[in-house]
Amino acid sequence: MQMAFYLDQTRCTGCYTCVIACKDWHDVPAGPATWRRVLTIEKGKYPEPFVAFLSVSCYHCQEPACVSVCPVNAITKRSEDGIVVVDQDACLGKDRCGSCFDACPYDAPQFGSEEDAKVQKCNFCIGRLQIGKQPVCVAGCPMRALDAGSMEEMKAKYGLMQEAVGFSYDEKLRPSILFKCKPEMPTT
Amino acid sequence: MSDTANGLTKGKKVVSTVCASHCGGSCLLKVHVKDGVIIRIETDDGEEPQLRACWRGRAYRQRVYAKDRVLYPMKRIGERGEGKFERISWDEALNTVAEQLKQVRDTYGPEAVVLMMVTGDVHFLHQRGPLIKALSLSGGFTPVWGITSFHQGLSASLCNYGTIHTANTRNDLVNSRLIIMWGWDPAKTIMGANTSWYVARSREAGCRIISVDPQYTNSAATFAEQWIPIRPGTDCAMLLAMAYVMINEKLYDKNFINTYTTGFDKFENYVTGKEDGIPKTPSWAEEITGAPASSIEKLAKMYATIKPAALMAGISPGRTAYGEQYHRAAITLAAMAGNVGVHGGDAAGRAWESCFPGYPYKMGFIEATFAGPGFAPNPAEKPAHEKVAAYFGKKVPFLASGIHCSKLADAILKGKAGGYPVDYKMIYIAYSNYVTQWPDLNKVVKALKALEFVAVQEQFMTPTAKFADILLPVNTYMERNDFTVGVGEAFVGRINQVIEPLGESKSGLQIAIELAKYLGIDKLVDKDEQEMVDEYAQGNMVPDLEKFKKEATYKIKLSEPYVVFKDQIKDPANNPFPTPSGKIEIYSQELAEMNIPGFPPIPKYIETWESRKDPLARKYPLQMINTHFRRRSLSQFDSIPWLRELEYQPVLISSEDARARNIADGEMVRVFNDRGEMVIRARVTERIIPGVVDVPHGAWYDPDKKGVDRGGCANMLTSDELSPSGGFAYNTVLVQVEKISDHGRAQIRTV
Repeated sequence: MQMAFYLDQTRCTGCYTCVIACKDWHDVPAGPATWRRVLTIEKGKYPEPFVAFLSVSCYHCQEPACVSVCPVNAITKRSEDGIVVVDQDACLGKDRCGSCFDACPYDAPQFGSEEDAKVQKCNFCIGRLQIGKQPVCVAGCPMRALDAGSMEEMKAKYGLMQEAVGFSYDEKLRPSILFKCKPEMPTT
Repeated sequence: MSDTANGLTKGKKVVSTVCASHCGGSCLLKVHVKDGVIIRIETDDGEEPQLRACWRGRAYRQRVYAKDRVLYPMKRIGERGEGKFERISWDEALNTVAEQLKQVRDTYGPEAVVLMMVTGDVHFLHQRGPLIKALSLSGGFTPVWGITSFHQGLSASLCNYGTIHTANTRNDLVNSRLIIMWGWDPAKTIMGANTSWYVARSREAGCRIISVDPQYTNSAATFAEQWIPIRPGTDCAMLLAMAYVMINEKLYDKNFINTYTTGFDKFENYVTGKEDGIPKTPSWAEEITGAPASSIEKLAKMYATIKPAALMAGISPGRTAYGEQYHRAAITLAAMAGNVGVHGGDAAGRAWESCFPGYPYKMGFIEATFAGPGFAPNPAEKPAHEKVAAYFGKKVPFLASGIHCSKLADAILKGKAGGYPVDYKMIYIAYSNYVTQWPDLNKVVKALKALEFVAVQEQFMTPTAKFADILLPVNTYMERNDFTVGVGEAFVGRINQVIEPLGESKSGLQIAIELAKYLGIDKLVDKDEQEMVDEYAQGNMVPDLEKFKKEATYKIKLSEPYVVFKDQIKDPANNPFPTPSGKIEIYSQELAEMNIPGFPPIPKYIETWESRKDPLARKYPLQMINTHFRRRSLSQFDSIPWLRELEYQPVLISSEDARARNIADGEMVRVFNDRGEMVIRARVTERIIPGVVDVPHGAWYDPDKKGVDRGGCANMLTSDELSPSGGFAYNTVLVQVEKISDHGRAQIRTV
C-alpha cells in the first residue's frame, strides 16, 4: 500500500493554513525548516498576469531519492504504507552530509537553523493516521483542496492527473501525489 | 468554581473555542492543553459546514506565548513612545488611572477625558460596554465615533435600504451564475469562515467570476476568469458606465425599478447626461478609471443578462473620499439588475457584512447589562456637531456624539481654539491600536505627546502601548469566556476559557470592574462571566447549554440560505423597505434636504481629493492603497514569528513604475508625501495597476530618530480628511516612491 496526497490546485488560494497547521502540530519553530510550503507561481505581464499556488510537502515517492542517497539509512520507506520517515538520531546532519537535501527535487528534506541540524520532514502525520485522523494539513484546509489516502483510493476519487502548475512529475522517483491542475491561462 | 477547580491547569485535554480575531471568521479552534499550557490547535472536524480556521487562528499558540505580550501593569519611565516601562502593581496602576481621571474631570470637566475605543476582538462581553459604564457612572467622558472599516458602506446602506443589515448568508453564493468580486478578496479578508469555499463551489457549478480591483488578488488568481484593473477612488464612475450601458441597451429590470425603487428617473437623467450634459459612457469611465471601455460594456451586459448575479461590492473601494457614492451606485446597479432579495443575487449593500443573518439574535442582554435600566447616561455626552453624524446617529445611536476618531488627533492638538468643542487632556485607549491604525500617524503621535495623561490597555507592546503612562495588561481570548455570533454562517459561538490568564493579565471586563471600584462603584456588574455567557446563550435559543459549552458553537439549521430583503421583494405591499419611502431609495429625499456637500441625493461620481488629476500629483504621482495583509488581522498578529516569516511587509509597485524609478524587486525604498515617510522593501509585481502602490495595512509603526517609519505603517502617509458621511479615506492618498541610495541604505535597519 502506498499513501498519497491530492491537491485541487484550482481551489488553492495560497493561504498558508496547511503550512501553519503543520508547524503547530509538529511543533516546528519559525525558521528554515517547513515541512509543508506554499509556492506562488507568477507568470505573464500586466494586465494579464497568471498566478497559481502549489502546496508542497514530501511526496513520499515510490522510489525516493533521499532514501537511496542517505549513507546511514536515516531515511527509510515503510513497507506497510510507503510513508518515508526519518531517524534523526542516525542522521549525520546538514553540515556533515546533506545529501538527501541535494537529491530531492521537491525540497522535502528540511533542516532547522540550529548547529548541525538533523533532517526533518513531513511524516504524513503517522500519529494522526493511527487514530483515524487525516494529516493535519488536509484536515485544516479551509478550501477542502487537500486530501490524503491510499494511492488506489485517491486515483479512484480524483483520476490520474500528475501535473500541476509549478510541479514536474519525476518518472524515476514516482512521487505519490495527484492533482486537479489549474489551467495554465484563464479562459477569457 | 475557580478555573483551577475546573481542571484548566491539570492534565491533558482538548477545549473547543471560537477564534475572536478581527477578520469576520469566528472559526472553531480545538485547543490541546497539557499541564495548563497550549500545545496544539486543531480546527472543526465535525459536520459541514465546518468552520475551519485560517493560518492566523492556527498560529494563535504563538500569540498567547509571544515574547512581546504585556503581562504586568506598567508605568512609563522613558519618553512617550519610547517603550521604557517599569512593572507596578495593579493597585498602583488602577489608583493612578482613577486619580488622573478625577483630577482631569475636576480641573477641566469630564468631557476633557476621551475614551478611545473601537472593537478589538470580535466578541461581546470583554468589549466597550463595561468600560463605558464604568466611566459614565463615575463622571463621564467624550466618546469617539466613526467606523474605520465601512463607514461609507454603512451610510450608503442606510440611505438606500434604511438598514445596515444587507447581506445574505455566504452559502447563497453557490446559487449565483455570476459573481463580480469588486474590490473584494475573500481569500485574504475571510469575512465568513467559508466564503472562499462557497465561491469555489459556485464556480465549479458553472458560475462565472470577474474581478474588478486595482490588484490581481489571490481571489482573482484563484477564482476569476477575468481581471479588470481599476484606479482607486474611481469605482463609482465604472458602475455608472455600467448603468449607462444597461439603460442605453434597455437591459435593466424595469419592473423591479418601478415596483421597489424610488428616484430612478433622476438617476437616469444624470447617467444619460440629461442633467449635466455628460453621458456616463464606458469611454467616459475609461478615461477616469483606467478600465477599458470594452471591458466595462461587456461586464455591464453580463451583469444585466446572467441571472442571478452577485455584485460583491467590497468595503475597501468605499474607504475612499466620497466612497458613499460607490456603495450607493453598486446598490442601484443591483436593483437595476433585479438582484436584490433573490437567491444567488446580492443586495450590494455593505455594512456589518453578513453579521446576524436571518436569525433573531438577541443583543438586548448587553444593553440591559451595560446600558439599560440603572445605567446613568454619560454626563459629558454632547450632541453631534456635524449634521451628517446627527443624521446617522438617529439610526445608529452610538455614532451620535463625541468626536470623530479620525479627527481626534487634530482635535487634541487644536482644541477649542481650532473650533473643536473641548480641550482634551486625557485619553483612555482600549481595544484599538491607535498608533498604527488611524490616519495621519505623525499627527496622532504629536497629539498623544501633548496630552496630560495616557492610559492604555493592551495585549502586546504595540506602538500604542509604548505611548502609555499607565499600561494595563489584557489577556487573550484563550484566557477568558465570552460569546460571539457567526459572520456569513448562521451560528452562535461560545469562547471558552482554555488556560489561566498569563502573568497578571486580566480580561477587559475584569479591568472595567476593578477600575470601577477605584472610581467608587462597588459592583459594576452583578453577574459573573459564566452566568452572563449562559444567559446570552439562553436568550439566543441555544437548546443545550452543556453541549454548547463543550462544542463552542451552536450551528443554526436554515432550511435554505438566508437572503436579505426576500420578504420585501415577494410581498412589497406588506413588507416595505425601512426607508422613508418604503422603497429602495436611489434618490433620497432626506439627503436632498440635508444638502451635504459631496453627498448628493442620487449616487454621482465625484472626483476625490488626491486623485491622479490633483495638482499635488505632480509632486506625488502615485496613488497609495492599503489592503489587508495575510500575516495580520488588521494590526493583530504582526509580531508572530510563524506568520512574519510567510511574507515580508512590502510596498507593492508595478514593474512599470519600478522601472521608471530604477527599483528592483526586494530593494529598500522610501515612500513619502507631505505627511510622512517610511522606508520599506519594494515588491515589484505585474499584479497591480500602474500608477498605484499598495502598502498593506496594519504594520506596526517603528520610527527612527527622525520620525521615519521602518515598520511599513501605511498610516504614516494617509490623511485624516473625512468622506462626507464621516468615512475614512484610507485609500485616497498620493505618494512618491524613491530608491534609497547606498548611503541611505546604510542608515536603516531592515525589518
